[in-house]
Amino acid sequence: MKILVCIKQVPDMESKFKVDAGGTWYAKTDLAWRMNEYDEYAVEQAVQLKEQVKDADLTVLCIGSEKVKETMKKALAMGCDRGAHIADEEADKKEPFQIAGIIAEYAKEKNFDLIFTGMQSQDRGSGQVGILVAEMLGMPGITTVVHFAYKDGVIEAKRELEGGVKACVKVAAPAVITCQLGLNTPRYPTLPNIMKAKKKELLSVPAADLLKVESRQDTAKMYFPEKKGGGLVLEGDPAALVDQLIKILKEKTAVLG
Amino acid sequence: MEYTREIYWNVGHSAGTLVPMYLFAFVAIGLLVKGFLRRVEVYKQGLPLDRTDQRGRRIRYMLENVLLQKKVARVRWPGLLHGLFFWGFGLLFIGTTLIVIQADFTDLLFDVKFLKGTFYLLFSIILDVAGLVCIFMLGGLLVRRYFYPPEGLETKTDDAVMHGLLLTILVTGFLIEGARIAVTELGTPLSYWSPMGLLVAHGLSGMGEGGLRALHKVTWWFHLLLVMGFFILIPLTKFRHIFTTSTNYFFGDLGPKGKLINLDLENEDAETFGATSLKEMTWKDIFDADACTLCMRCQDRCPAFNTGKPLSPMKVVNQLGEAAFHNPEANLIDSFSKEALWACTTCRACQEICPAAIEHVRKIIDCRRAMVLMEGEFPGEEVMAAMEATEVNGNPLGIGYAERGDWAESMGIKSLAEDAEVDVLYFVGCYGSFDKRNIAVAKSFVKLCQAAGVKVGILGKEEKCCGEPMRKMGNEYLYQSLAVENIEVIKSYGVKKIVTTCPHCFNTLEKDYRDLGLEVEVESYVVFLEKLMASGRLRIDAKELSCTYHDSCYLGRHNDIYAAPRTLITAAGGQLVEMDKNREEAFCCSAGGGRILAEEKIGERINIKRVKMAAATGAQTLVSNCPFCLTMFEDGVKGAEVEESLRPQDIAEILAERIV
Repeated sequence: MKILVCIKQVPDMESKFKVDAGGTWYAKTDLAWRMNEYDEYAVEQAVQLKEQVKDADLTVLCIGSEKVKETMKKALAMGCDRGAHIADEEADKKEPFQIAGIIAEYAKEKNFDLIFTGMQSQDRGSGQVGILVAEMLGMPGITTVVHFAYKDGVIEAKRELEGGVKACVKVAAPAVITCQLGLNTPRYPTLPNIMKAKKKELLSVPAADLLKVESRQDTAKMYFPEKKGGGLVLEGDPAALVDQLIKILKEKTAVLG
Repeated sequence: MEYTREIYWNVGHSAGTLVPMYLFAFVAIGLLVKGFLRRVEVYKQGLPLDRTDQRGRRIRYMLENVLLQKKVARVRWPGLLHGLFFWGFGLLFIGTTLIVIQADFTDLLFDVKFLKGTFYLLFSIILDVAGLVCIFMLGGLLVRRYFYPPEGLETKTDDAVMHGLLLTILVTGFLIEGARIAVTELGTPLSYWSPMGLLVAHGLSGMGEGGLRALHKVTWWFHLLLVMGFFILIPLTKFRHIFTTSTNYFFGDLGPKGKLINLDLENEDAETFGATSLKEMTWKDIFDADACTLCMRCQDRCPAFNTGKPLSPMKVVNQLGEAAFHNPEANLIDSFSKEALWACTTCRACQEICPAAIEHVRKIIDCRRAMVLMEGEFPGEEVMAAMEATEVNGNPLGIGYAERGDWAESMGIKSLAEDAEVDVLYFVGCYGSFDKRNIAVAKSFVKLCQAAGVKVGILGKEEKCCGEPMRKMGNEYLYQSLAVENIEVIKSYGVKKIVTTCPHCFNTLEKDYRDLGLEVEVESYVVFLEKLMASGRLRIDAKELSCTYHDSCYLGRHNDIYAAPRTLITAAGGQLVEMDKNREEAFCCSAGGGRILAEEKIGERINIKRVKMAAATGAQTLVSNCPFCLTMFEDGVKGAEVEESLRPQDIAEILAERIV
């Protein structure tokens, strides 16, 4: 069995974000980088599947600069067998259609039985790449998966829908799965696996070799949401606080009629 | 007439006595040696560990603790009884040896007798009193064990055999002496030099010489056989502690206190890290189990054990011994139980009190290392999340690393990247940098430095967690990655001196980082501030403060810093009321050993228990010296519902409020 898992390196969401000089993306200074949370579920599920079927080869793919290899090493330490690094210094300037195009181009003749990825990235959050890859490869795509089971070439998955509703899906491989929070708990890599990961195959391919599609959309502008109002903390004597609160509710809201 | 007595009186100094006696002795000693050689084979199952360096220091430490019973005496009554028994028994042993030396060597071969005259009188009275002391001490220990046993004291067959045998040996000794005196010394001034023997002699004197001689002979042989039995039983019962505990002082950890063994993570031949089985423990860990006398002192002080958690340091040591001798293939982590292993706060109360120089904490950390490094297991998801947060942002709180130095901006403190010309580098730590409550402490410390004219710099966003909680949780890999990065940054600025306000950072930089190449002087802020005050550079107004002081484990037991914080508190006008458990006996706040990262799910909350102890002093302020303690106490005063009456504060805050 051949499995591909596509991951993205994203800034930690606790970082101090600033808009960069170009005004279309965030500045890269003072950011801590990590694996996109949803891709961690994808890696974990892929590794669990490999452990289940035993005879499997698991490739982790990541597009970006030399720096993303650090995140790829974590995926390798978690249990991926080999890494495919698509070298691209300007990955963040590519829109989801191009990213999906690169992945599909990479995957098209490799006969992957399953492709896992996160349901969206934590930074761009378009939620497009997984489903576009499926479309481009002509494979079924199952998105926002929170439960996954595989037996004899058939996948049974649960998708998370709006309002707590879940959809049960049954489909024959090959397929693309995009993973949602709740699917699993990603493992903590063990030291022997971290050591082994350092020696695993990690080949780089220039993105230009795989980019065969044109971009279809542009980022016009990136900005912080305007500050509107905010919380108000009242402090002091409880009796006075009650009066103050009633006054505010009367003046600023309609709840007291 | 010269005072002396006939050795081998009544039993005779002939081959008929000597041959069986020496035969018994050789057999007994042979069995004793054999018993220990078999145990040595068991010790050898463990990994090598060099504990024979610095022999002078080791021998001194051993003599201090064996001859002076220093650690045994740390717990007053049982310690005193054991100490006096030890000295009494030691004198009896020396006395008996002197008899053998004179009768069967110096006198026999060279006609030299030294048990005579004044020396004999002293010899006689000393042995007589020693025997009496032994009986009383042993009696006291027996009453304690069998009639008023402290809670949890384990009493086994071993104990019955030991008490019974020793008591019989002592009593028969006096019977032999009494019978001899009744026949040969009654009415002579010599008899007064054996008061206890004389008393027994008076009691027996009605028997007539024939009866006395018969009693003497039978008892003499019986006594001899008992002593031989004692030798044979040494390796087979807890009597072995006579040798193993003494030797364990020699093999003890000479420090630095509590420093863990640095794992070689680059070793490509290593298949496993940490310990899951006996083969991965060191020989000393197995030997420790043989040195343990089940005295329970560790368990009595363990904060986990005393709040209903499944950890007893004594049981860990004994379960290891159990595995070594009976089930060497056992999975130790299962034997100890994971919950027990995760419950340890590495507070060192067990090791500090142990009268057998046993190293409990290292064993627990070795097992944690195996769980984390080999299995990726943690006590809870919150701990794994903290580990991941630290990997990404260099702090377990998960806050963006770039904000690490933000607290200092308003204080006019720069990072070394901006200005490396400073007197000291303040290694702030994660809580001082990110936690609101502890930022107040960091600011107070900086104010004090500024008042004393000390130019302080920080690493700011270049500082990372020192790695202590991760290391104690078993994550040696993450610890070493953090340590190497910190050391590299510190070295790059040519720092001359580092001061910390976190005892965990202090302990890690001062001890653990040395293995990874840090050479700069490291000082705890309490010592640093005390020096500034002593030199007059820092002036503090004494203002009344009703307080009690909590010795953090890592400033106290791990680094023996007890005086400096108290000097500072007193100088600030603090009326210090000590809690019952203070200094070496202080009760942990619950957050050591990486437990700061974990939720406390089992049993009573340790921090609440400690806060209650503080509240019981009636003091209004609970002074501490550690960001973890302060965090736990801020939470603890709420849990104990003493928020209104007891206020946790750091020493730096108290001093900063009183700057002249």
